[in-house]
Formats: sequence, C-alpha cells, structure tokens
Amino acid sequence: MFAYVIRRVLATIPVMALVALFVFSLLYLAPGDPAAVIAGDQATPQDVERIRASLGLDRPYLVRFGSWVWGILNGDMGVSIFTNLPVTTMIAQRIEPTLSLMILTLILAVTIAVPMGVVAAWKQGTLIDRAVMGFAVLGFSVPVFVVGYLLAYVFALELDWLPVQGYTALSKGFLPWLENLVLPAVALGGVYIALIARITRATMLEVLQQDYIRTARAKGAGQGSILFLHALKNAAVPIVTVIGIGIALLIGGAVVTESVFAIPGLGRLTVDAILRRDYPVIQGVVLLFSFVYVLVNLIIDLAYTLFDPRIRY
Amino acid sequence: MLRRSFLAGAAVGAALPRFAIGQPAGSRVLKFVPQANLTSLDPIWTTANVTRNHAWLVYDVLYGMDAGFRPQPQMAAGHAVEEEGRSVTITLREGLRFHDGEPVRAADCVASLQRWMKRNSMGQKLEAALEDLSALDDRRLRFRLKRPFPMFFAALANPSNPAPFIMPERIARTDPFQQIRDTVGSGPYRFLPREYNSGSFVAYERNPDYRPVAAGEPSLTAGPKQAHFDRIEWHIIVDPATAAAALQAGEIDWYEQPPPEIQQLLRRNRQVAVEPIDRLQNPAILRFNHLHPPFNDRRMRQALLPAVDQADYMTAIVGPDPALYSPMGVFTPGTPLANDAGMEALAGPRSIDRAKALLKEAGYTDQLIRLIGPTDILAPAAMTQVAGDMFRRLGVNLDFVLTDWGSVIQRRASREPVEKGGWSVFLTAFASFEFADPAGNFPLRGNGAGAWFGWPGIPRLEELRDAWFDAPDLDAQKRIAREIQLTALEEVPYIPVGSYTSMTALRRNLVGRVPGFALFWNLRRS
Repeated sequence: MFAYVIRRVLATIPVMALVALFVFSLLYLAPGDPAAVIAGDQATPQDVERIRASLGLDRPYLVRFGSWVWGILNGDMGVSIFTNLPVTTMIAQRIEPTLSLMILTLILAVTIAVPMGVVAAWKQGTLIDRAVMGFAVLGFSVPVFVVGYLLAYVFALELDWLPVQGYTALSKGFLPWLENLVLPAVALGGVYIALIARITRATMLEVLQQDYIRTARAKGAGQGSILFLHALKNAAVPIVTVIGIGIALLIGGAVVTESVFAIPGLGRLTVDAILRRDYPVIQGVVLLFSFVYVLVNLIIDLAYTLFDPRIRY
Repeated sequence: MLRRSFLAGAAVGAALPRFAIGQPAGSRVLKFVPQANLTSLDPIWTTANVTRNHAWLVYDVLYGMDAGFRPQPQMAAGHAVEEEGRSVTITLREGLRFHDGEPVRAADCVASLQRWMKRNSMGQKLEAALEDLSALDDRRLRFRLKRPFPMFFAALANPSNPAPFIMPERIARTDPFQQIRDTVGSGPYRFLPREYNSGSFVAYERNPDYRPVAAGEPSLTAGPKQAHFDRIEWHIIVDPATAAAALQAGEIDWYEQPPPEIQQLLRRNRQVAVEPIDRLQNPAILRFNHLHPPFNDRRMRQALLPAVDQADYMTAIVGPDPALYSPMGVFTPGTPLANDAGMEALAGPRSIDRAKALLKEAGYTDQLIRLIGPTDILAPAAMTQVAGDMFRRLGVNLDFVLTDWGSVIQRRASREPVEKGGWSVFLTAFASFEFADPAGNFPLRGNGAGAWFGWPGIPRLEELRDAWFDAPDLDAQKRIAREIQLTALEEVPYIPVGSYTSMTALRRNLVGRVPGFALFWNLRRS
C-alpha cells in the first residue's frame, strides 16, 4: 500500500509536467496581448513594445517556459502582470471561498443524492423512483446559472431571507459564512446531486439482484440494514468514483456559480485572468486545479480499499 | 388540517429573521459596483477608466477642470505667469499632506508631472515646449518654456487618462512604463491596501487631513471635494443581473454602468434612480486601416459615408430612446469645439445604393474587407454587429471576425495586410473628454506610422492640431476645430458613428453626485 502511494505520488510529477507544458504552450499560442491591454487606447506601438519588454513578454518561448518552471520548482508562481501581486498571494486570497463552496456542495450533494438513489432503487418503478429520476433529468438539463438566478430571485429578492451575493469568511462566524453559501451551493449542487443519484440508483439496482442480498433477506435482515449495510457498501466503488470525477464538474461549475453570486473565488480569478491575458495567474490557477484533480483521484483510488477488501495495491 | 399546518409553516417562515439587510439611512459606508475590476492601481501606467476613478479618490491634482472645461486651482494656491508666458510659477496651498503624513512639496509635483508627461498626449506636447521644470522651494515649482504654451493650464487640468495626479517623489520617480507599488496620494480618501482583493473588493477610508479648496462649487474635477462617507467599498460584481439584484436589495448603493436591458429592470424599482452619469456623451467611431487596400484609398473611405446611419449604431448600444444619443462630427457634442462643419456627409439622406455606386467608382473589385470586433464589451460589440450588417448590404467581400476584446486589441496592432492576418475596419467608443479637443482625440491624428491604430498619414490634420495648440483664445480654437472637422470628413481617418449617454444607477437616498464619471466627493446619503 505504502509503495503504491509513493508510486502514485511520483506518477503525478510527469502528469503535472505535461499539464504545465500544455498550459504554457496554449497560452503562448493563444491570441491576445496583455501589453496592449495595459497600454490602453492612447498608447503608440512603441509604448506597447516597451511594456511588453518590461514584462519580459518579448523573450523567446523556451526562455520564458524555463524561467516559469524554475520559479515553480522554487515555489514561485510568478507575479500577476496587472496587479503586480505574487500569484501565490492571489491564489491564497481566493482559495477559501472556492474550497468552502466546493466542500459545502459536496456535503450537500452526497447527503441528498445517495439516499435518493438508494430509495429510488428500492422503490424501483414507483412514483418515488420516477420523481427521483425526473429530478435527476432536471438537474442535468437546467444550467447552473439559471438555477442560481432563480434561487437569488426567490430567496434573496422576493423573500429577503438570504443575501444576493458576496462571501463572508468563516473567521467572521459560521452563520454569516453559511448565509452567503447556501444559495450558491444549492445551485452548484443540482447537477452533482443528479449525477450521484443516478449512479447510486443504477448500481444499487444491480447489487440488489445479487445472491447475498437474497441470503440477507432470508436470514431476516431488516430493510434498512439490507439497503445501507449490505447493498450500499458493495455499490460504493462506482459511487465514490463518480464523486471523484464530479470534482471536475464542481471546478467548472464554480466558475459560473462564483460569477452569478459574486463570490471572490478561484473560478472568478481564472475568468478575469483569461480575459486580461494575465498569463502567470492563468498558469498558476490551472496548474493548481490540475494538482487538486490528480490528488482527489489518488484519494478516491485509495478509498476503494475501504469499501472492497478484495482490492489490494 | 394539512392546509392549516401549511399556513402555520408559512407564517413561521415569514417571521424568520431577514439576513439580507440593506444599507441603513444613516450609514457612513458607501457600497459601489465599479464598471470593471480594479486590476492596476497606477493611473499613469494604465489608462483603464476604472483605475482613473480609483485615482480620483486617492490623488489630487494641481488644477481641476470644471464642467465648462475651465481649469481651476486645486492643490495650487495660485500662479504667476511671466516673461510673456515663457515662465510659470505655481505656488502650492499650505498644509497639503500625503496619506503617509508627509507634506506635499513642489519636488513631489515636479517628479509626478515628469512621469505624467511621458504618458499623456497633452503632457507630451507640454514636455516638448518645456525648457526646464524645477522646484524653487517646498511650495513653489517653476516651468520655463521655450515658447508660450496657451494650453498650459488646460494640460495641467486635463481629466483624460492619464491625469496629472500628484504622488510622493519617491514613488513618482518610477519609470512611467513600470507599475508603482505604493498607493499614497493626498486626495480625499485613503486606499486600504490590506483589504484590497483584486477581482473582488477594494476599500477606502476618509482622509481626515484632507483640506478641500475653500471656494467654488464642485464641478467635474474642480471645486471643493467634500468627503461625506467614512468609508467607501468597491464590490466587484461582474454579472450585471447579480449587481442589479444587489442594488435592488439594498446590499449596494451605486451600480456604475448597468447595461441597457438591466436599466429597464432597475427603472421599475422606486428606490433606484437610473440617470446619465455625465451630461456629455461618449463618442464612437468606425476606424479604417489606412495601410492596405481597400481603405488606403481615400475614395473608398468616403464611399462608406452615405451608408453610415449614426442612429442605427447608437440604437444598438442604448436602445431606441433618441434622448440617449446624438449625431456627432469629430468633437463630443456639448463641448466648446463641437461644430457642424461638413456634417452633411453624415446627416444627409442615407443610401446603401449611393455607397455601392461610390465604391464601384472608387474601383472596388471585391477585395477582402476584414471587420474585427469583440463580443464581450457592450458598445463595440453592438456597433460591430451594425457595421457587419452594413457591409453585407453593401455586398462587399467581408470577413467578419468576432473574438473577445483582448484579442481585438492585439489584432488591431497588426500592420500586416488582410491576407496575412491584418484587418480593415474596427469600431470602438471613447470617454466624452477624450474627444473634447484635438489633444485628446488621438484617432484624429494623421502622423502616419506614429498615429493610433489604422495609421493614417494626413499631414494637414497634424498642421491643424499644431495650430490649435498655439491658438491664443477660444475663438481661434473654434475656427481651427471647424477646419479640422472639414478635413477629417474629407480625408476620413475614421467615420464618427454617433455619441451615446452612459447611464448609472444608484439608490435614491444618495444625493449630491458630481456628474462626469464615478466621482465620490460631495456625494452623501439624504
């Protein structure tokens, strides 16, 4: 197991290197020039060139890439072209809202979706099953921003129960933190709940046909025990896999949700940086997201052993 | 029973505490949503309007410009003009202090103006006329000029980007092409760097040491700047619907630039006022690439004039209300130099057929025309769509390229022919002040390779611009401005496509706003 973890951790290095190369090259080839954005309308081409030179954007591709990689290896992601702040500082300023949103969404989604899927499988073909599947279709079909606007309209503008926008740091109190995150988490969680509920239902249906379930019933096990102890544990591997894959959905969804609810997170930072061609920030954030995704998948792989003792690394 | 339970539940729900509480009437905090994220804090390094608005909170200037375009002393107590205009000595007001507690000295002003002169077109002209600029003592700075410079005070009061903001000498010594790292001014509000979170939040606190000028009325950047709020917060909200909802819910007080469709929504709310942010309108243009066919030929540029209906372009930006847009020549309507010389080219009957015939006469033989434009910036995006339709109706060989603004501003810098990725036409808009005179109206320059994107080589326009700088009085300036407009509509460095009113939305309990742009002094809660 330990050797496996070490191997997997080491395997992330070439993955991250490839991501770094890909991200850097893509940005190098993409149209857009931060020097032109900075210089503004009155600037002469000579002004733009001077700014480009002062930012080091006139250096050859390999020199720029080498310098960036060297910086990363030394824990320096560079400095934002526009704000003059270190990228690590900007990420540090933005990581709490995004992490808060993702964790709350994850908790919300798993708490709602897994029981929904289990109940739908248990009551297969009934009204409950159809309602759950109907909700799942709705969750997949309605875009996050539509759900976000609707929630904000009803719960913030009409009922005045929750704020329309913004984020309050957890250090300023749990309740204010929660008030700002409830609507975004529900909006972002819709598609995630739908995904997990469907997979849970499908896997549970398969597991409930197994001989050992019939054996458990024959032994007189209660319905709850059959569903949640015997069946769910055996159905857990695909469900946990989907939860892991869904992290990518959350990262993508966070970009939209953070814009709709004006949450100062990493998603917003990425979009702003892309629009301005703030290369060091884009590279830093994408690299961080990739690392998180790789890490989550590693954790998911390790979690398999908890649910299925036959799996050995 | 069930219904009764439901009603009871609903009543409990309605009685729940309401978390989203708007700003109370007596609040000394102003919450504002700016037009864009405040990315750079250096108003000399970048010309972004959002940075300009930030800078007017933090910095002060020697002279302000009033709404009638008359320079008025701000940090200056007075001045002495000697040697027939070749020497100007400015004396600073007593007791001026920077936010770090240091006194404002003439040496700070000298360094600040020297940095500004490198980046502002009017400043560059002043620098060319300057023999020496020095601090005589802590309160007096002297300009020695090679020749009289009639626009001297107008240059120092210039509100266009970048404005001549005064910074401490240690900061102002920074290369004008490098960003400053400290934000220390002497203006009515202090920037709070510890709370700054680019893309999310900016905060300022009232500068208790600020001494507004004693006399006059607040008018544009001139007059007394009274800070009525203890604290000003900028909340960066990029989504217009979210910003509008926050304004309606009272979570914010002022939304600087709501798009037209959101303005309609906000007008229905009795607590919100939607009004012009400025009494002047923003000019917009259709710019040609003068380096390559077909628009390197003056006749081709002239041929498009009958096809341009300014109302179409403006309606696309602000909607059908004719009160929100005006026809324009090359100067912003309502400014002293605006005139009607040659306007029959744009105001007469519009005709696509006439334009087609003129194109044919000019020898148009299906050369490729590449129209570039953005999809993410309201005014240029809307105008580009109208231009695309116009070119299609003209039946030209059109390559219509829509990207984001970041790509447009890179591509428009390309001097290559269209076959190698170059461009033929793009559209954009400007701030009202920029087109108030030939100094700020940089697309009007005709200095070829050194000109703004499009690079027109029209020596006559340069001669007239120089003559305007030397004009002794307003009447002479107006005469030259008429000639400039006639020349511009004959040579067509660009086609003016109208001017439009930019609207702002704020809670009705805010009063005293100074028209112009997002200015925060004098504003208070009723």
